[in-house]
Parts: sequence; structure tokens; C-alpha cells
Amino acid sequence: MLFPTATFAIFFLIVLPLSWLTMPWPHRWRPFMIAASYVFYSWWDWRFVLLLAGCTIWNQMLAVRIWRTTDRARRKGLLFLALAGNLGLLGYFKYYDFFVSSTDNMAAIVGYDLPLSLKAIVLPVGISFFTFMAISYVVDAYRGEFEPTTLEKFAVYLSFFPHLVAGPIVRPSELIPQIEKPRDPRRVDTSRAFYLIATGLFKKVVIANYLASSIVDQVFAAPGQHSSLEILIAVYAYAVQIYADFSGYTDIAIGIALLLGFSFPQNFDSPYAAVSVQDFWRRWHMTLSRWLRDYVYIPLGGNRKGTVLTYRNLMLTMLIGGLWHGAAWTFVVWGGLHGVALAGERWWHGRRAAPARPLAGWPRWRARILTFHFVCFAWIFFRSDSFGSAWDMIEGLFTGWGEPSPLVTSGVLLAIAVGIGSQYLPARLPRVVMARFSRLPVLAQATVLALALMVTSVLGPEGVAPFIYFQF
Amino acid sequence: MADRPLPQLPPLPDEETRTLEQAVPPPDPPRAAPPRRRPRPDGDDGPPRKLASAGHALVVCVLALVIGLVLNAPGAHKNAYNKPAGWQRDVALALTGPLAGVSHALLLDRPRKGVQAAVGRSGIDDIDTDLGLPPTTVATTTPATTVPRATTKKPRAGTPTPKKPAFSPKKKLRIWVAGDSLVITPGYAIVRAAGSSPAMEPVGTVDGRVATGLSRPDVFNWFDEIRRQVKELHPKVVVLAFGGNDDKAYMTGLPDGASVGDFGSWAWRREYGRRVGGVMDTINRAGAFAVWIGLPQTSSQDQTARFDVVNAVAEKQARKRPGRAAYVDTYTMFAGDDGGFAQYLPDGSGRLEKVRADDGVHFERAGGDMIARVVLKELNKVFDLTSWRNKQTA
Repeated sequence: MLFPTATFAIFFLIVLPLSWLTMPWPHRWRPFMIAASYVFYSWWDWRFVLLLAGCTIWNQMLAVRIWRTTDRARRKGLLFLALAGNLGLLGYFKYYDFFVSSTDNMAAIVGYDLPLSLKAIVLPVGISFFTFMAISYVVDAYRGEFEPTTLEKFAVYLSFFPHLVAGPIVRPSELIPQIEKPRDPRRVDTSRAFYLIATGLFKKVVIANYLASSIVDQVFAAPGQHSSLEILIAVYAYAVQIYADFSGYTDIAIGIALLLGFSFPQNFDSPYAAVSVQDFWRRWHMTLSRWLRDYVYIPLGGNRKGTVLTYRNLMLTMLIGGLWHGAAWTFVVWGGLHGVALAGERWWHGRRAAPARPLAGWPRWRARILTFHFVCFAWIFFRSDSFGSAWDMIEGLFTGWGEPSPLVTSGVLLAIAVGIGSQYLPARLPRVVMARFSRLPVLAQATVLALALMVTSVLGPEGVAPFIYFQF
Repeated sequence: MADRPLPQLPPLPDEETRTLEQAVPPPDPPRAAPPRRRPRPDGDDGPPRKLASAGHALVVCVLALVIGLVLNAPGAHKNAYNKPAGWQRDVALALTGPLAGVSHALLLDRPRKGVQAAVGRSGIDDIDTDLGLPPTTVATTTPATTVPRATTKKPRAGTPTPKKPAFSPKKKLRIWVAGDSLVITPGYAIVRAAGSSPAMEPVGTVDGRVATGLSRPDVFNWFDEIRRQVKELHPKVVVLAFGGNDDKAYMTGLPDGASVGDFGSWAWRREYGRRVGGVMDTINRAGAFAVWIGLPQTSSQDQTARFDVVNAVAEKQARKRPGRAAYVDTYTMFAGDDGGFAQYLPDGSGRLEKVRADDGVHFERAGGDMIARVVLKELNKVFDLTSWRNKQTA
């Protein structure tokens, strides 16, 4: 069930009143919300629900045991078991064929023919997100940072439909306390919710889909057939497309959660205004960044074990982050590039003894341009389906200047300008818009939203394209 | 420009000293300077927002959807019309039909039409099911094509082989690719392969449209599109792939009261054959050769069985047009060792390559490349794409 569909609108119009009606009685609300979320998830494939339920029971069982056990070695063993279960689940569904084909190909290079068989495994939607949330639940219990809650509350936490399929990755300490206490039906931040839903829909349906169909898909599919200008603009367009697509989705998710009375953490903060790669990761997919920091980088030792190991830890964290996005070596290279850049910036800071400034000595505008272009360069590997195609893109950037560029239209340039320019708008502007909207009468609010819906519907291409991050 | 302090956002992954072993989180590190960061949209700055009740949220949601539905009634009606046959479509049509009438009568469809006109998208709500095909099959008509008719019989010894139309870097073979979503990946592979040949030239973009086909001109009218594009692009070859969404009984664009019965019935095959043949003839009449990419087997046996029916119709129509159309069989091309569906296949060097997408239907890049090689081989049978090299050498 995709957010921008009539099916979801009907689903939500049923869930919204029932959620608020049952809210005063948590023992009714929680089973209702689990059922609603499972219905939402089963819309893709009912078998996925069994997987989600199994993941819930497994992690709850182990988190409770970890919390109750005082023996350190036993706690460690239980944690290992929980992680093995989660990573095993992710590994089987997401990486099995990748691992087998990579191993087989490497063995073939040295003349071995391994008896490995491939399985056409269907990737359950959102598995990367809910396994990461489950891992944070058991690790927080292990660290003593968060006491495991009841199975019912944990099931709501893990399956809550606004974040289920593509995040944001919400931590137990952020959502479970909200689940435990009934939300106040008199204090709903509707203006922010509607603003986020309307802008999220526009970003996804108009900007992302338009750029994908007008230039990105065509150029990345056959870079050799396009001029250097088209390739350059397609790379910029992809940067805007993936931002509009993913941030649009999370905006809608946050807005829907707000209407239900729940608050999710922010996931994007004008990432293309970043002045360094480190700054970029503070602004891009923020909930994944902090997850990687807290559950990968720090356990690896962070920056506590000397310079060389810090670089290693940075690289490993980013390589894992890359692989999380997809079972392909191009994603690993994408993560590796960011790892190298983060390590490079760290080295630069150390050299200049100016740790507070990611690109010390550089004017901000130059740092922004450099960071943006580095991020765009790395997106080439992220978007390309093979190294050959990524190389064709890079080569094409230099070899076809002066050729006709029919795909570079004013519409494409406008969509890119809107996508990037919106990140430089005064941050006060949305708050002013929301504040004014919140003071409008009911009918006026509904009319504004209906008009926004109409404009989005007319400007967007026909059909509903899936969100990019669903495949991750 | 003077340097300003950078935002003090939570670092990734830096400046952290906790380990997994530490049960209690450390206190927040002291901050060197008060944060001077850009205020965030969800921060506490800016004018205050008025919070509302849950009832208010529900009323605004319902009203916005109702008003939105009235404003978008023509689009909603078209979407309802385009739905797959079944009770959902019937219900949607029963609701949106009168709504579109009310919206029109009250002039509430004007804003939508105005925005459409402003962005040059007038007419997107029109439902066009006119196939523009003669009522019976046109297989017997002779197209005014420049492509010579090939013979299926082997030429007798001594009989001169018909000369193939020659193309060269000066006079390139223009290729256009169109079809449903299954054409997209092979289409780009063909574009890459043709683009790297000096005697071929891909024209237009790969016109691959998701969830379309020849059964439902109301969803997208391919008959119009092909007629328009061959006129505009002047291709000499049109590569097509259709049928992935046509494995259903329901068809639009039929004469009033006509029915094709169940999927795969005699009447269905006849009508679908008329449409496939009509598309091929449109292409032939424009002086181009049609290459029809057949449907592959999929991870679903039921779907594969349905695709077999569609393939049989398309192959028959291509055979009726020797020298003007060719059918490319992808069924066996993507079979595994056991003859069934295979997601990975060995390439020329024995290395395993993922050729089919995770959905078990579409192609991966390597799969597209396999199809492109076969399509180009077909083209080399019909056209002379290499003799210019000999002339150049001479």
C-alpha cells in the first residue's frame, strides 16, 4: 500500500478515527494498531506479516532475557544470538544471492566450480528498516539504556505503519514512551502534519517522478548515447530525485504519525546545503546516520583507539552503510567513497588543527559546492547498475561536449533548481506558512489542501512510481 | 566571505567515546560555544502554531479529500476507467461518473483544466479507446514498405539472393523502441548496442510505459502513439514488446456490445491478433520493419502459461508478415538448466550474471543485453549493415 494512492487514503480515513476513539483505552488501541499495521504490510504480501511477527517475538524474547540476566558472559551470548537472528534474516532475504554469486564468480576466477545454488528470493519490503529498529531495541537493553517493554508495545513499536516500510528509523526511547501514554486528542499539530504531507507528496509525485522519467532513467540506462551536458544534468537531477523521493516519503510518514498523535525524529535537514561530507551525513537520512554511529562506529571503537583505527572504523561504518542500501558492489563503492571522504576530512582537520570546521580555511560557498559535487559524484555509483555503466557515465562527462542535448529542457532545469533552491530557503518560511495555515477556518484548510492535491495530481506523471528506498 | 561557525549537529561518526560495554550513557559533552545554527523547521522559532483537536484533523482530512475528489473528478474518472476489470472498477466508475458530471455542471473542473492548459497537459483526462484499425485483419494488405519481402523458402541453387537494403554511417538504420515496462531494459540495451554501431542510429527515446498494453487503449492508446511516432521519427526499424499486461480477458476499444470471452478464447485470440497485426501493419505502412520481442517465462508458472498464449498470437502475426516483421523468442533464452525460470545465467565466460529482476518478470541489464544481441542478429539478417566497411577498405 503506497502512501500516494486512493487505497491508502481509504485505509487512513478508517484508521485515523478508530485510533483516536480507542486511544483512551491502551489495551484496545494497541491490538488495533498492530492489526492496522499488519493489514497495511500484508497489502504487499501476507507472508511478510509472518516474518515481521517472527522478528517481533524473537527480539522481544531475547531483549527481556538480556535485561533480566546479570551474568555478563550470558548477556553477551544472548546479544550475539539476537544479532545473529536479525542479521541472519537480513542476510538471507537481502544478501543471499549476492553472496553466492560473488563467491561463485571469485571461485571461478581461480578455477573452482563451487556447488552453490541461487534462489530467487523476494525481498520483503522494509526489512532493512525493521531489523535495524529491532537491533537497536536489543542493544539498548544490553547496554542498560532502555528497559524492554511488553510484547504488545514492542509489536506496535516495530510495526507502526507510518515508519514500517521506509523509516525514519525510530529509536525505542523515542517511540515506546509515546506508545505507553495515550496521546492528547486536544493537542494535535495538524498544520505541521498537513504541511509535511502536502510538500512530501509534491516532492515525490512531481519533482522526483518528473526528473526520473524526463532525464535520469534515460541517461543512466545508456550514457554512451548522451552528450556530456545531458550526463552532467542527469547526475544533478538524480541527486534531486533521490532527495525528493526519500525525503518526500519521510515527510509524509512524519505527517501521518503526527495526525495519529505521534512524533518522529527529523530525517533530512537541507542536505545539499552541507559544507562538508561529515555535515552532509548530519543532514541526510539522519536517523540512519545516528544508527550507524551508535550501533556500528562506536562498538568498533569509534575514535578512541588512535588515528589509524579511527580511519578504519570510519571506512567500515560507511562500507556497511553502503551495503545496507543494496546487495551490489556499486553500493559498497558508494559507501567506500564517503568513508574515504570522511577520513580525508578528518585528516585535513588534524593537519589544520581546526576540528570544528569541516573544511577549515574554505569559504562556505566553496565548501558547499565542493561537497555537493562530491556527493553527486558518489551518486553515480549508487544509481548505476554496474561498474561498467558508472564508468560510462564518468567517461561521458568529458567526451561529449558540444553535442545536442535534447533532454536538457527548461522543465528539467526548473525541477533541479526547485529541488536544490528549496534547501536554501529561510527556515522561518515553513513555520510562517504553518502558523498561518493553523489559523484558517476548517473549510479553508480543506480547500487549500484539496487545491494542493489537484496541482500535484496534474503536474505529476500518470501512475504511481514506487519509492526508491523501498528496495533498500 | 567570512567564515561562520558550523552547525553543532550530532556528529557522524566522530567524537564519540562510548563502547558497547558501557551500560550507562555518558553525560552530554560540554559544548565549546553556544550553537549558532540555522533554525530548523521543527524548532521552536517562528510564529506559534495553533494546535487542533483530533476531530479537527479528521474533518479537514475528509473535507480535503471530498473537495479534492470534486476538483479532480475528470482525472479520478479516468483512473477508475483504467482500473483492471472487476468489482473495484465497477464501484469506482459508479462513484466517479456522476461526480465528474456534477463537477462539470458546477464548473468545478475548471481549475484543473486551467492548470492543465497552463502546463501544456490539456487532454490528459480524455479517455480514448479508438484503435484506428480496420475491423478485420489487414494481414493481406500490401504495405508500401521499402523493406524487401524475405522468403521463408530456401532459394534454389543459382537463384540470386534478394539484395538486402544497405545502411552505412552516411545513411544510418534508424531504430525506435516502444512497448510496456518489459521493453525498458532491453530497449536501452538495444540503444547502447545500436549506438555503438556506425551504421545504426537509435531515434527518439525508449518509449516504455509501465502498466500499458494493447488490450487497454483507455489506459494508454498505443495505436495512436505508434502512428504518431513513426510519422515523426521516420524509423526503419521499430522494436516492440507488448503483452505483459495483456494476459487478461478484459479489453477496451471493442465495438459496442462486443465481447471477447475468456482470456485465451478463440474470440480473444482473434481480437488480440487483430491488434498485434494492426500495430505491425502501421509500422510496415510507414516503411519500417517490426521486431516483436516475445514474453519471457516468469517465476510464476500460471503467468508463464498466460504469456504463452500471448506469445503464440504475436508469433503467428509476425509469421504472417515475412520480411516485414520478426519475432524474437525470449522464452528459451532465459531458461535455466532445467528448462524453467532462471534469475541468474552464465555469461560467455561462464560467470553467473543476474539476468532477471527480483520481481521474477522484468529484466536486469545483463538480460537486456542478451535480448539486444539477438535483436541485432535479426536485423543483420534483414539489412546489410556491414558492406560499407568493404567499400571503405576498397
